[in-house]
Amino acid sequence: MSALLNNVMKNKVVRKFASPWRLALLVALVLIVISVVRRITGANDLTSAGLSSATLRFTIPLLMAGLGGLWAERAGVINIGLEGMMIAGTWIGAWFAFLHGPWIGFLAAAIGGALVGLFHGILVVKIGIDQAVSGLAINLLALGAARYLSGVLFIPNGGDISVSPMVQQPGYLTVPGISSWLLSINGKNIIILSDAAGVLAGFVTEISWATIFLLITVPLSTWILWRTRFGLRLRFCGENPIAAESLGVKVYRTRYMALAISGMFASLGGAYLSLVASQVYREGQTAGRGFIGLATVIFGNWRPSGVLAGSVLFGLTDALRVRQPTSIHAALLVIVILGALFVIWSITRGRMKTASITAAAALFIGFIYIKVPIIPNEFVTFFPNLATILVLVLLAQKLKPPAMLAVPYREREEGH
Amino acid sequence: MQNRNTKKKGLLAVVLAAGLAFSVVTATAPSASAATKITKIGVAFDLGGRDIPGFNQLAYFGARDYVKTHKGVKIQELQAALSDTDATREERLRLLATSGSNPIIAVGFTYASSLKIVAAEFPDVKFGIVDDSTVVLPNVQGIVFAEQEGSFLVGAAAALKSKTGNVGFIGGVQTPLIQKFEAGYAAGAKSVNKKIKVQVSYLSVFPDFSGFNDPAKGEEAARGMFDNGADVVYSAAGGSGAGAHKAALAMKKWSIGVDADEWAFPSNKAYKSVILTSMLKKVDVGVLAFINSIDKGTFKSGSVTFNLKNGGIGYSTSGGRVSSYKKKMDTLIAGIVKGKIKVPSKPAM
Repeated sequence: MSALLNNVMKNKVVRKFASPWRLALLVALVLIVISVVRRITGANDLTSAGLSSATLRFTIPLLMAGLGGLWAERAGVINIGLEGMMIAGTWIGAWFAFLHGPWIGFLAAAIGGALVGLFHGILVVKIGIDQAVSGLAINLLALGAARYLSGVLFIPNGGDISVSPMVQQPGYLTVPGISSWLLSINGKNIIILSDAAGVLAGFVTEISWATIFLLITVPLSTWILWRTRFGLRLRFCGENPIAAESLGVKVYRTRYMALAISGMFASLGGAYLSLVASQVYREGQTAGRGFIGLATVIFGNWRPSGVLAGSVLFGLTDALRVRQPTSIHAALLVIVILGALFVIWSITRGRMKTASITAAAALFIGFIYIKVPIIPNEFVTFFPNLATILVLVLLAQKLKPPAMLAVPYREREEGH
Repeated sequence: MQNRNTKKKGLLAVVLAAGLAFSVVTATAPSASAATKITKIGVAFDLGGRDIPGFNQLAYFGARDYVKTHKGVKIQELQAALSDTDATREERLRLLATSGSNPIIAVGFTYASSLKIVAAEFPDVKFGIVDDSTVVLPNVQGIVFAEQEGSFLVGAAAALKSKTGNVGFIGGVQTPLIQKFEAGYAAGAKSVNKKIKVQVSYLSVFPDFSGFNDPAKGEEAARGMFDNGADVVYSAAGGSGAGAHKAALAMKKWSIGVDADEWAFPSNKAYKSVILTSMLKKVDVGVLAFINSIDKGTFKSGSVTFNLKNGGIGYSTSGGRVSSYKKKMDTLIAGIVKGKIKVPSKPAM
């Protein structure tokens, strides 16, 4: 349900709250609600520094997979092979990090991922294999190749057929002064102020350099796709390849590049998982993150900022769940209160339909909050799927996928 | 009239069938207890494989221990793959059976439904399945463990070590099997300190098995528990446990291993300083006992439980970090063996 809220807020509220002051007010309001709920329920983890840094570490792999999906789909090709490209990244990253250190690991993963993406490109663009079939083939191929190569290369080096030897991770950044200042405020237990300090402290304490570099790819993707000639042509290929070609855009070449970039992003997400989040390659460690990344593309309405919002939301639920399962219950109360506030706001604006839908949803969640003291893990792990389905159902008319997504396109022969 | 007739016929058929079944049972019973000459032992591994220290390796060690004392006996091994389905597991067991392996050991409860089919096809071959008691056939033995007893011991050790009165449990996948670990651990911790707080987190939910191979999630779960006051965390989470060790090292806390002596794992070399102890589930003892029972003709179908009493369960003392608690631990062990301490196998709700 929070997916609905989130999107309604993004689409309507943010447009209304255009000025940064009003946005700040909104953030402050959310923080006050969380702070109060934390006091009432005693779920202290809701605003801890540990939670925000864990959320960040869970978000990055999903975000990179999501951006990978976004780049491919913007050019008109579906990339079901994201999971396989992530697997490639976890393996390549771990092996090269073991040999030459973490940064070479990331570099190798980027190159390797681009090659796998290009392979997908040749299969679907040039040869014309069904996009879903090719993607699935890549998922299986990556799994098998990683296992084979582990047997050949990891076993003689202290690893195993499914595990790499331990690798070094990239360095950490703790902003001097600010980090300890925020943590000290967080420790004082002042309402709202300590909560804000706790959340912020997670972003300036022991944050991996890799996290920082990979986060930059979000604005970078937006800039390239919407502000450069190359980006415009790439999106053109996804919207109308026939028109693009008639205007001299090389559709095949553009799609190859889009898929190489797609593979590179997914693979970097995999490398982050094995190098930063685990310090070891382990068969199966991607655990479906590539598919959740694919869901964030739909959730985020094919925009990098939307993909980021989706990854943070899914990363946050996972972090809340594994760190302190009881705080999921408290999070429901946060959603109910925010929903109630939104209802009041909608009524004052005369939006009765939005108000009634939100009120019904908030009442339902409130009912669950009171009746179900421990939210079953099954429901929480299902949340990303549920959120994406809700977005698809409730906001279908607002979603704007590329017009020619997944439609095969044949370039015209020279001289015709 | 006709109706009564068919009823009579039906009754006769049932009686005949029962008699037939009985005669089959009586016929196979003596042959089941007769000693079998073992020439080749088949082992079908679960995910992870023979060379990773842990569950699979221990099963292999059990077979190897037998081979060491019996010259000429061979071991035929088959590895599992991440893409396995029940059909591929079936084929693996069938391949072992048709190539002359007897007995065959299926490592892990994932083989249960495949074994049900294959074991019925090869009534002369003896099968042992680790961690499962659902396959009930005259030629199948379930090799199961009282994990809750070992978890009870490490729970007591955690409570003895904890200064904050707050300890954590990380389960890989939420299944009844892993909940046994949780139940024993919490009971053990409470036997030492009644007021102790036990935080619990599961990484994935059945049938999603990714929680056994996701060190990133293991690390965040452990960090969350440490942030919320715990100073010892026990993970029954397979490969994800390495993440908990990593968190313990970064935050200067304690971590407890599972199944085998994790302190001695080559891959855990960096974490030696934070591994307090490990719950030992001696799969090797269970597998060796199973093979020996066939060799000696004492094979029993159904499930055989290995526990503290018969030496199938224990805790590790490597690193010497729990040696000062030996007295307390010994009294607990004696209590469990004598039945004075009842260890629950289901978590209290």
